[in-house]
Amino acid sequence: MRFPSDAAVLEPLQLIIEAIGRSAEVEEDELSSLSVAVVELVKNAMEHGNRNDPEKLVTVSFNIFSNRILFTIDDEGKWEPEKALGFNPGEGEELLSTRGRGVLIARNLAKWVEFGLTPEGKTRVTLIWPLT
Amino acid sequence: MKIKQEVKGDVLIITLSGKVIGGPELVEVKDVFQKAVDKDRKKVLLDLGKVSWMDSSGLGVIVSGHTTLSRAGGALKILNATKKIQELFIITKLITIFETYTNEQEALNSYGD
Repeated sequence: MRFPSDAAVLEPLQLIIEAIGRSAEVEEDELSSLSVAVVELVKNAMEHGNRNDPEKLVTVSFNIFSNRILFTIDDEGKWEPEKALGFNPGEGEELLSTRGRGVLIARNLAKWVEFGLTPEGKTRVTLIWPLT
Repeated sequence: MKIKQEVKGDVLIITLSGKVIGGPELVEVKDVFQKAVDKDRKKVLLDLGKVSWMDSSGLGVIVSGHTTLSRAGGALKILNATKKIQELFIITKLITIFETYTNEQEALNSYGD
């Protein structure tokens, strides 16, 4: 799936991610956690990778295996979460920050979230959702 | 997302329903907190029982409301957080900041006089 960096796509995306989860037999109770994790990473791709430029695209790919769903989220920038945020949300004085919790939430909800680069040198986030 | 407001005694109850997914409508929620302070309503109870989906954007607005009300000498408390929303509060440690209730009357009583 490829779409512009526009918040209007988030709600349809949420529904698509849950449909993917349902087709992979993710438990009904876990579908919203899956969609929250992916949507958080897509929002970060839009904001930090694409600077909310609607001309720039986010690409979400997925593969369903017997024991996991593997999502990749690519943007057109190059960023790392710790450097982009500049602080550690959920700790000390940053506890009351109004932003910066997306990666923290995605990492806690999903089994595995890793930041890397595409062959073209752009940011690629990989999320693994285990299937039981 | 829908926003409903109701006053009980001196407590403003704000009820959100539907998906809290980001975008301009969250600004509206922020404004509700600011307008409450402007009207000298500093005891606010946020009912999340009808929220079907929420992510970090929603948490950001709730934190913003907490800051707005706290600075004015008031308090924002949480009512009926779903299991999924509670999980987000725990992950982000916001559970240490907010008083949460599952019973409206108990929540209203907690503000005292």
